[in-house]
Amino acid sequence: MSEATAGKTKYEKPLPEFRPETKPYWEASKRHEFILPKSKTTGEFFFYPRALSPGDDMTHDIEWVKASGKAKVWTFAIHHMGPTPAYKNEPAYVVALVETAEGTKMMTNIVGCDPKEVKIGMDVEVVFDDVTPEVTLVKFKPMGK
Amino acid sequence: MATSIPRVEDTRNALKKHKIVIAGVGETEQGKVPNKSSFQFLSEASKLAIQDAGIQKTDVDGLVTAFSLVEHTFMHCTTFADYFGMRPRYFSSIAIGGATAIWMAAEAAMAIISGQADVVLCVRGDNTLSGISSSGMVALIREMCHAEFEFPYGLTTPGGYALAAQRYLYEYGLKREHLAAVAVTMRKHAGMKENAMNREPLAIEDVIKSRVIADPLTKYDCSIISDGGAAFIVTTEEKAKQLGVKKPLAYLWGMGQGYSHQYLTTLKDLNQIYTAVETSGQKAMKTAGITTKDVDMAFLYDCFTITVLLEIEGLGLVPKGEGGPFALEGRMEIGKDMPVNTHGGLLSQAHLGGMHHVVEATLQLRGEAGPRQVKDAEVALVHGNGGIVSAHSTIVLGQQPLS
Repeated sequence: MSEATAGKTKYEKPLPEFRPETKPYWEASKRHEFILPKSKTTGEFFFYPRALSPGDDMTHDIEWVKASGKAKVWTFAIHHMGPTPAYKNEPAYVVALVETAEGTKMMTNIVGCDPKEVKIGMDVEVVFDDVTPEVTLVKFKPMGK
Repeated sequence: MATSIPRVEDTRNALKKHKIVIAGVGETEQGKVPNKSSFQFLSEASKLAIQDAGIQKTDVDGLVTAFSLVEHTFMHCTTFADYFGMRPRYFSSIAIGGATAIWMAAEAAMAIISGQADVVLCVRGDNTLSGISSSGMVALIREMCHAEFEFPYGLTTPGGYALAAQRYLYEYGLKREHLAAVAVTMRKHAGMKENAMNREPLAIEDVIKSRVIADPLTKYDCSIISDGGAAFIVTTEEKAKQLGVKKPLAYLWGMGQGYSHQYLTTLKDLNQIYTAVETSGQKAMKTAGITTKDVDMAFLYDCFTITVLLEIEGLGLVPKGEGGPFALEGRMEIGKDMPVNTHGGLLSQAHLGGMHHVVEATLQLRGEAGPRQVKDAEVALVHGNGGIVSAHSTIVLGQQPLS
């Protein structure tokens, strides 16, 4: 599964630029846990992670909650061209916006199936891709596949 | 919506009182133009606009610029003022992506109304095609994506628009050709515009069969990258007359902005985009005292085919979900229901962030659009969007003073 171990070549695709406030998210991903930030004031999940709740409460009081790992494809685009030279000669890949069971949306890749099988509304579940020893990307695959 | 727009009357009264006009326009050659720097294009476009207005460089006392994808500077307007050799009383650089060009006219108007300047040069130019480095291109692609939570998944700028397009087609049960039809219409119009980069006719099939970039979008759903410059001069009717401007004036009737999201991750649904477009358009149209029925032609930011459909529907020119069929039936063509981008737009003429949309609207209102002339063109709606249908700006231009 992991592109880093499968190819045994250096991972040259873009890596996330970490911000201090997102540390818990990336640490959890590395442990193969998918967590989402939630405002303790309003009880609402939000994504992407921020230091303050983006809701009107503006609170710093944020808790990280283990997410169900279940989501639905809201939309997707089969990329035949990647953003950097590292994608040259790569097969087409699916970038998708999924809606998690917790109600937040997130950008991800749908893996573990032919891109042509991906449909809007499709049920997907979380899968962890250890792209480098330091970085694990949260991706999704068709439910039960 | 109408009653919730704050201070429309204030803006309307200010525009009526000051009679803000576009008094001159300029376009350099467009396309692949090597051996010209970004600031050369800016200078040449400025010179052409000043000459078109028939005024002197010394008459210009305000400057609004944007940004460059090639020449990186934190202070773009003053860097250009230095290069061009002017010392403006008012200067500003706007950086709201594709919403910039349209908002330049609004910002110039606000500077004039508040007494900061009398004659404002709005200019943009860049040698994007010839001058951008491969790292610059990667930076541009990344700019639209969240560096931490989107870019690592390989999202590209066309990919972002493809995400919007896929959802749009799904919600309304539309097909690939509905998007393609927009590109076909733009190409048809570009065939009548001398400086357009791509003028050879394009068929629906050509668009669908062209190289897949990010499915459902192919090469011809994506705007071109080009070199070139364009400029326009904003002043008051009174000042224009005083300076002896001979060209017909295009009057600014209204302006507005609307914001949806920066990153697609935080987009709730398509309605959020429609609402931002509508907010921007309604503010501009209410200020102008018009409804969509009064609009004779629309200049819609067309960085990708999908944006034209979302904009024409969000603005209320066509009901939601009917933009695709409207395009496919050829109703965006000159001489039809609602001529859109009579110059060929970003998809076929040139990509200068919507500067040409403002220039073409002005030429149409002046009756100088030649073979592209829209009959009885009196009111133009011009709309820009920055980011991935994120940040919106609209202006309404009229052939007569706002009354």
